Parts: sequence; structure tokens; C-alpha cells
Amino acid sequence: MNLQTLVARAAGAVLFGVTVIVTACSQQPEDAIVVGLSADITTFEPGMISSRDNANIARHIFAGLFSLTSEGDHVPDLAHTLEISEDGTAYVYTLREGLTCHDGESLTAEDVAYTFNRIADPENRFTGNSPGFVFTSIGFQDAVALDDLRVQINLARKNPIAFGLITEIYIHCKDAYEAMTLDEAASNPIGSGSYRLASWTRGSEVVLEKTREPGNFQRIVWRIIPEASTRTAELISGNADIITNVVPEQVEAINGSGRAEVQVVSGTRRMYLGFSLSEGSRQMPGGEAIQDPRVRRALQYAVDVPTICRQLLSVECERATGLVNPPNGHPDLEPYPYDPSIAEVLLDEAGWSRGSDGIRFAIRLQAGRARYVNDVNIVLAISQYLQDVGLDVEVDLMEWASVYTPLLHARSMGPLFFLGTGGGLWSPIYDMTDMAEVGSSTNYTHWDDDRWFSRWVDLAEASTPEETRSIIDEMLQVFYDDGPWLHLYFQPDFYGVSNRIDWAARRDERVFLFEAGLK
Amino acid sequence: MGSYILRRLLQSIVVVIGVTMVSFLALQAGGDPTYLFVSERASLEEIEATRRALGFDRPLHEQYLSFVGDLVQGDFGQSLSYRQPAMEIVLEALPATIELTLFAMAIALLLAIPLGVLAAIHRGTAWDGSITTMAMFGQSVPSFWLGIMMILFFGLYLRWLPISGQVPFLIPLMEGDFGTALGNLPRTILHLILPGIAVGTYSLARNTRLVRSSLLEVLEQDYVRTARSKGLPEMRVLVHHALRNAWLPVVTIVGLEFGFLLGGVVVVETVFSYPGIGRLLFAAINQRDIPLVQAGVILLAGIFILLNLLVDLIYVRLDPRMKLAEGRR
Repeated sequence: MNLQTLVARAAGAVLFGVTVIVTACSQQPEDAIVVGLSADITTFEPGMISSRDNANIARHIFAGLFSLTSEGDHVPDLAHTLEISEDGTAYVYTLREGLTCHDGESLTAEDVAYTFNRIADPENRFTGNSPGFVFTSIGFQDAVALDDLRVQINLARKNPIAFGLITEIYIHCKDAYEAMTLDEAASNPIGSGSYRLASWTRGSEVVLEKTREPGNFQRIVWRIIPEASTRTAELISGNADIITNVVPEQVEAINGSGRAEVQVVSGTRRMYLGFSLSEGSRQMPGGEAIQDPRVRRALQYAVDVPTICRQLLSVECERATGLVNPPNGHPDLEPYPYDPSIAEVLLDEAGWSRGSDGIRFAIRLQAGRARYVNDVNIVLAISQYLQDVGLDVEVDLMEWASVYTPLLHARSMGPLFFLGTGGGLWSPIYDMTDMAEVGSSTNYTHWDDDRWFSRWVDLAEASTPEETRSIIDEMLQVFYDDGPWLHLYFQPDFYGVSNRIDWAARRDERVFLFEAGLK
Repeated sequence: MGSYILRRLLQSIVVVIGVTMVSFLALQAGGDPTYLFVSERASLEEIEATRRALGFDRPLHEQYLSFVGDLVQGDFGQSLSYRQPAMEIVLEALPATIELTLFAMAIALLLAIPLGVLAAIHRGTAWDGSITTMAMFGQSVPSFWLGIMMILFFGLYLRWLPISGQVPFLIPLMEGDFGTALGNLPRTILHLILPGIAVGTYSLARNTRLVRSSLLEVLEQDYVRTARSKGLPEMRVLVHHALRNAWLPVVTIVGLEFGFLLGGVVVVETVFSYPGIGRLLFAAINQRDIPLVQAGVILLAGIFILLNLLVDLIYVRLDPRMKLAEGRR
């Protein structure tokens, strides 16, 4: 054997070995499902979880008292019944019998009460979604175990959406958590859900193992793949079964691969252009003009939302007519059509005619960067549409986290601003609470129309579902006609799904795999 | 020698303090990090409570001095996102990055020397032209682009190599689990090939050019001409006379190479979803997790300082003139 033959055979052997190993590595076992996420997981401490990706994994480890279906219905989970006191401030849940946590400890009402009180304990300094949003929204007071199976959650005031929000709380067992420090609890979750944490390689992957029903896969592997093109490549190559946040430009590549398809769902995030009506905005160029509801209505006709969706999001969007997600919105309202001539007429009637330079008024449009799908291009397109009807728009694109978010919390963006706020399917009132009060932290517009805000009392006192619905529709009509949002669309969410998997993406950004299976 | 090392270590403390100050101020200049730790529906009261809980309500100098005070006692603080000791998290990610860096370094060195020599001894030929052109390409191509292209070609089209992720080798090795470490090794290497090439290409190109130019310079020296005139075989002239002296500038670069590559892995680790220190720091910076960034920066600075020191010591050992200069000082 000469040297050349030897080298060729050695190279062939190495290549064969590599191929065998790679093939072995890339074959997905049938009892496991792999999900590629875009954002890293930071904690499994129930009181600290705040991001959607983190919450999606946590929900497989920690069960709730009730759970939320993809249609927005609440169904029993750890609890099977709920009784609410007449004044609406005491919620008594009755647990199912025979529940346990992952360490084998029995899960009783005492554990549920402990969960709520532990998360609320200021000593723990938790800053996650449960203490930071849920508890403050529902006016959580305390939780008390009435007996082994009944637990009472006490609230400061009646709240029509408390039930749905309480569902968000991750239930865990007292003995296990009392035995751990906060540091230990952050990386060693001992939950009550179908899956337990098998391993967590920070920044790389989280592996869950099934402990009980529901769940069709023995193992769930959540891989952290921040780069969108890498996630797509992993899906097409068969190393991932589901990937989140597919960028629109890669939809064609995935669908054309023959190995996976993109599921596009109209998400619950409401995308809008806000009109800031604050006193500060009023002093700015254009601030005075948008105080007039006729101007705001005129601008609804000025932006071609369907074209923006087709060209920049590659989909036909679900158009918005208000702040409530379909199918809970006002049934009779139609999205404003794109008709710049109507916009021009209405602006003229409102007293903002074009000047000799063709400009009606100047105004600033602020937006954060890289927060929503293709947001920069969408903002630029909106700006162009507004310029077409005579506005001189100054676009101010800002870094999201450090520049735009502080403005958001101080409610000082504007006079025009681009934003998307999370919503839900389970209650129209949940979506409407963005505008619960003039001073609500989420009323970024400072809108103060009494025809809306005075109705909250009526809503709280409504005695029948029909009466509630009627009030909601009246409020939504006001919001549609004279509200502070230029209604855009519900943000489409893009999921890549392998052909071997039977799974349907949900509208509410939750990635639940309990019902996922092989085709 | 001892006093020299001591003096360099004392100087390094000043460098570390400077590094922490710059990174601290840079992160603070990015705005109030509190907003990253509250929900989008948080009220002003909740934001204020969170700010207090995270310690961002204190004046900047107070926050920094408190951090330095803890640092002196070996306490790097708790990561704000992970709620765990910051240095512990950084050290967890370090072995993966060391694996990647060593692999990239091996590529950058083991290929650079033969390519550089080949180009030098065939100066002006097609060999030289091809190698120099490839080196130019290697130095000008962005590592993230190269990474994505390799993913598409080798990972997706040919399906030869894994696209992302990592299989640990050093961690089980350090834990004494040799069986797992050896069992993982083939897959570790497979996962390192693409990111390793992406990280190491720039250095490979630079080192190739360095070896070539250094060798060309040495080959012009009188002592090489003398060696040839003595009738020594060309290979012997090259290896024993020319390369030995051409080696010195390469050693300097090689010593610093590790530190350079260590700092250069951030983007590549993100592209390949490689769970190393670069990706950790990138995420920590985005999350304004100041203690975690500080712990990472200090560790990287420490490694860089130690490597510099090591290079100086090796240099002194290799070059007697340097030793003389040290002695006179």
C-alpha cells in the first residue's frame, strides 16, 4: 500500500466516523421533543420568573390552581373548584386529593398558602411577574389554609379578572422550599407540574423529565439558540422540533425545506401607534393637534396597515379595532380602511389644512428598536404614510431597554409613539385594564375620556354577563371613535414546527407541550 | 525575577481597578437598569421598590465603592438575573470558552506555521500568492458571517457537522469523571470545529503572514547565507538556523493569542449558541447585570494580565538580550 492510498483510506475512515457520530447526534429519539428558544433562561425561582420563555418552561415544572387553554378557557388543574365570596375579596380553592410535589412531598392547602405568602414576602425581594404584576393587580393580601384541601386567597378589593391572574402563580411545596436558600431555589425547582427539571446547562439547554400526566413525551429539551438563522438551521436539519421567533425572511426557507413548516398565528400582542395627550406632549410640535379626536380619527385612515403586514411581516395580519383581542372585541366594529383622501378631508375639517409647503403640522414619532417583529421598518413605513397626508414626521428610534423603557414607565413618550402591549384571550376586561384608570401605569397616552373611565364602576357592578358585555361594547365604541390609539394589528407570531411533530401554536405566546405528540 | 513578577502583579491591580471602573461606568451610562427587572405593567411605586431592592437607588460612587469593598473581600456580588454568586456563574461558563479558545488557537498555530513557511520558501510563486490571498481573506472576513456560512454549508447542506451547542469535556475532566470526559471527546471536537474555525480564522491568517514575513527576513540574514555556503541541506538551514530565529516574534503573538481569542468569542458563541463566557457576558450586558459583567470582565482581565506576564517571562528566557536588559534594570 503506497502513501497516497494510506492517506486516502485514513481520510475516508475519519469521514465515515464523523458521519456516523453526527448522524447519531442528530437523530431525535421518539420520546423526546426539542424546542429552540431565542432568549436565555435566568431562573427557576417562582417569585422571579418574568420573561415569556422562562415562564413557558416553568409552567411545565410548576402547575397552577387552574390552567389556561389555547381558547382562553380556564380549566381545573391542581384545584377542582373555586368559590368566591359575595364581596369578591375571598377566593376559596379546593384542591384535588393525592397531589404531590416532585420530591414526593404531599401537596396540600398549606403548601398553596405558603406559595402565595412566600412570593409576596418583601423579605425575599422577589421582582418577577407574580409579585410585580399579578399581586399588585389583584390587591393580594394573604393566603390561608382552611383545611388540608381548601385554601383561601384574600384580596383587598373586588377584581373581575383576579381569577385569571391567580392562575399565573406557580405552586410549590413548603417543606422543600423552606429547606433551600434562595440561591438554591433559583436553580433547583421542586415543582408540582407534569415535568421535573433533569438538568440545566446555563445558556445552553434545559432538560425536563416527565413525572406525571399530562405529557406525551418523556423528555422535553429546551435549547437556547439566540441567533435566528441558527435556530432555523437547527430546525431544518432535524435537530430541533419547534423553534420560536422565526424571522419573516426565513419563512420561505423553512417551508421549502420539506422537513418543517412555519405556523403563523395572530398573537395577542396589540400593536398600535399611541397619541400622547399629556400636558408635556401638548407643548410639543403636533401635540396640540392630536388632542382633537377628529385629527386622531383622520390619521386612522392614513396608514395602510394591510400593506405593511404583507410587505414587512409577510402575512395578512389580524387588524385591530381596539384594545381587546378577538373574539372578545366589539363584534360590529370594522377596521378603519386605508383611505388617505378621507384622512385629508377630516384633517382639513379639523382646521389643520396644508400650508404653502404642503405641511399640516410637524410631530415626533418615538419608538424602540428591535423589540417587535421588523419594528424599525414598520415605524418608518407608518411615518411615510403620515407624511403622505401632510404631517412632517420626525422619527426618533431608540434603544429599547435603556432609553425607551424608562420613557415608557414615566409615560413620557410621544407625542406619537409605537408600542405593542401583551393581551389575553380569557377576558376582554383583562385587555381593557391597560386603561383601568387615567393614571394607570399602562395608560401611556394620558387619555382621560370620561365616557370610558366612568364606566369602570358600572362594569364592576354589572350583575349579568349580558349587562357586562353591553357596557364593554359601549366602552369599545368610544375607544374606536375617539380613543388614543391608532389601531394597527395583533402581532403575528412565527413558530417553526418539524414535520414529525403534531403541535399547534397558541395565540397567547405560551409554548405548552402537554398535548404535543408525534405525527 | 521574583521582584519583577511581584511588581507586575501590583501593577495589574491598578489595571483591574481601572477595568472595573470603566465597565461599571459604561453600564451605568446605558441608563437605569431597574427597568429591566420590572414588568411592563409595573407602577412607579413598584419600580421604586425594585430599584431599592437592587440597590440602584444609591449614588453611583457609593454603589461602586461598595462593590470594590466587597471585591477586596473576594465577594463579587450576586448576579441580578440569576440571583446566584456572579463569579460562580462566570466560572461555570469558563471551561466551555477555554475549550473553544484552545481549539481555535490550535487551528491558528498548527496551520499557520506550515502555511507561512510554505509561502516564504516559495516566495513569488503561485503557492505564495494563494496563501497570501487566503490570509488576506481570512483577516477581512467577519467571524459571524463566516460562522453563518459554515453553518449553512457544513451543517445544513452537507450535514457533516453539528450546527450549534456544546458537549463538555473539561468539566467532567476537572470533576475527575474521566470516563465521561473521554466518552464526550469525539462529540466535543465535532461541536468545536465550526465555531473554532470561525474564531481562529483571523488569527490563522495573521499568524501565517507573520511567519512568512518573519522567515523571509531571517532568510536574508548573513548567517543563513553562511549556512548555505557551508553546503548544509536546505531543510537543515531552514529548521535549525532560520526558523529558530524567526520564531521569536511568533512566540510573542502566540502568548497573547489566547487572550485575543478569548475576547473574540463573544459573537461567535452567540451565532453557534455556544454556552461560554462570551455569550454569558453578552446577555449580561443586555440585561445590565452589572455584578455578572464585572465578574466576567475581572476574570478576563486577570487571564490577560497573567498571559502577558507569562509571555514576558518566556521572552526573557528565549532571548538572552532581554535577560541582560532586565539585569541592568
